[in-house]
Amino acid sequence: MNATTCYFVSPMRDENTEIARGLKRRDPDLFDQLIEKYQHRLLRYLVHLAGRRDLAEDFFQETWIRVLERGGQYDAHHEFSTWLFAIARNLAIDHMRRKQTVSLDAPANNDDGAPFDIPNIGQPSALDVTIQHELSEQISCSMQHIVTEYREALVLRFQEGMSLEEIAHVTNSPLGTVKSRIYRGLSALGPLLKGVRL
Amino acid sequence: MNSDLHERARLLIAISGPGVASGEEQLWLASHLETCSSCREFAERSREAIQALRAIPIMAGTDLVSATKLRVRRRADELHFRQERVWVISTCCVVVTLWSALTTATFWSALAWLGRQTRLSPTIWQIPFAVLCFMPGILAGIVLLARGTHLTDRNGTL
Repeated sequence: MNATTCYFVSPMRDENTEIARGLKRRDPDLFDQLIEKYQHRLLRYLVHLAGRRDLAEDFFQETWIRVLERGGQYDAHHEFSTWLFAIARNLAIDHMRRKQTVSLDAPANNDDGAPFDIPNIGQPSALDVTIQHELSEQISCSMQHIVTEYREALVLRFQEGMSLEEIAHVTNSPLGTVKSRIYRGLSALGPLLKGVRL
Repeated sequence: MNSDLHERARLLIAISGPGVASGEEQLWLASHLETCSSCREFAERSREAIQALRAIPIMAGTDLVSATKLRVRRRADELHFRQERVWVISTCCVVVTLWSALTTATFWSALAWLGRQTRLSPTIWQIPFAVLCFMPGILAGIVLLARGTHLTDRNGTL
């Protein structure tokens, strides 16, 4: 490890160590900070994984409860976000297996046809918001037609900006499988987005 | 052109990012894209797909965040309370064990001395000794077994 890498890695380790200590103590203030910090990222991942916003919101709350209960198991040598996403993933998979209504290989769809509600963000103009909303819904619909594992890999890679190694850790899969899922996911998503005006 | 080359090029395009492909691989990919229109099209479609993915605005609402914080705090309180209770019970167990170890020998000697003085058969003073020794354990067992039966309320309290 060279000096530059050490310079960046060391503060990150310190931060992870602090988080690990706080998790062991079950420090409520630390949990408030972590929930604030990862709120959008975690929910986004869960929405894509579950395919439904209401279900994702349940998973979101349960994930944090599980983090609280199993905080002692967090290893500060790994990124907290990677551990958090792995917990969220396991929780979602457990739920899907229990319910047995959604296969991990099958696309998840809402009853009303829309995969999940996209909230309106920003207030530039009513038209802009509507266009953005429709576009997002179209993209989300396309995403729901992709195999869950591919969708998950795409979300972790391109929305959450995780490295391939981190994705492998979250999904508990070999690196080669992660690469292949991203490739296949993009290959599947490309044609689905052909009709969507970006 | 060999289909393996296209496969390799597309895989490199898909997993592209900082530190993923080596400089040599990137150079090879760039030269391949110059000559291969189908891989160029794949690269363009992938770029659009990635751009589209990043355009989906999914935000957590403040209600959800507040509710989660509240639930986490409540659960943390419950866990702290449970941990304290376990600590109290463990301490009690340790104290009782030590106390029993210390007193049993003394109690046995005292009863034996009393038996000798009153010239009682050993069985007669050994029975109350056994009863006194085992009674707390038996009572605790009965109480624990009674939990979860008709003797308890919904919370399992006697």
